[in-house]
Amino acid sequence: MVMVENDIFKALADPTRRAIFEKLADGRMNASSLRNGMDISQPAMSQHLAVLCQAKLVRQERQGRFVNYEVDPDGLALIAGWLAKYRAYWPARIDALKTLLKDMDQ
Amino acid sequence: MSDQTPDVELATSVQEEMETADIVQKYELEAPPEKVWRAIAIPTFRERWLPDHDLAQAEPVAVIPNEEILFRLRDDAPPFLESVVQFQLQPISSDRTLLTIRQRLADGRLASRDTWAANSNEPVMMLAA
Repeated sequence: MVMVENDIFKALADPTRRAIFEKLADGRMNASSLRNGMDISQPAMSQHLAVLCQAKLVRQERQGRFVNYEVDPDGLALIAGWLAKYRAYWPARIDALKTLLKDMDQ
Repeated sequence: MSDQTPDVELATSVQEEMETADIVQKYELEAPPEKVWRAIAIPTFRERWLPDHDLAQAEPVAVIPNEEILFRLRDDAPPFLESVVQFQLQPISSDRTLLTIRQRLADGRLASRDTWAANSNEPVMMLAA
């Protein structure tokens, strides 16, 4: 589970993958519905979906001969937790740094 | 000249890595750059606002005196993810400093995107504090 943390950032750094991920955030879809309204070939879509799946951002679910894709809630929770923690951590550290700067001699 | 080359390379690699930082925050501090530098680079000062127990190691990963310093952090909760934080100082005026914080995940257990492991063999410039 830990192994995927960096893959998450890498996966979402690509604007096309971010767009795909945002579409899936609205609900599960198969690869051809995902391509609607996007200028992207079927092999390219498969490759992007593979990267998103490998990063554990998206998971696939097979239904007969169709494959649906959906946002993987576990991957999202991990990354959101790490970001939220450190986004709040630094302002508190900087408050302490400002106090120190006042105490220090020039 | 020979002892300058690694610093330039290190600075370049740092810059490239930090362009993909996961967290970027900027702060204006009411203190001259030299003073802010001492507060970050001198361990007894740094410990007062960025404690050792939040770091993976007390020694900085890389240092460009008066400009940039990088530390490795370790989260205090499982799975104890490691990251690298860069503090970059830019003078606004003689008594004001812009501090930019950039942080990115850089965990040894992560195979991809972790070029920090490769950088760890680089000579780290010692602090002239």
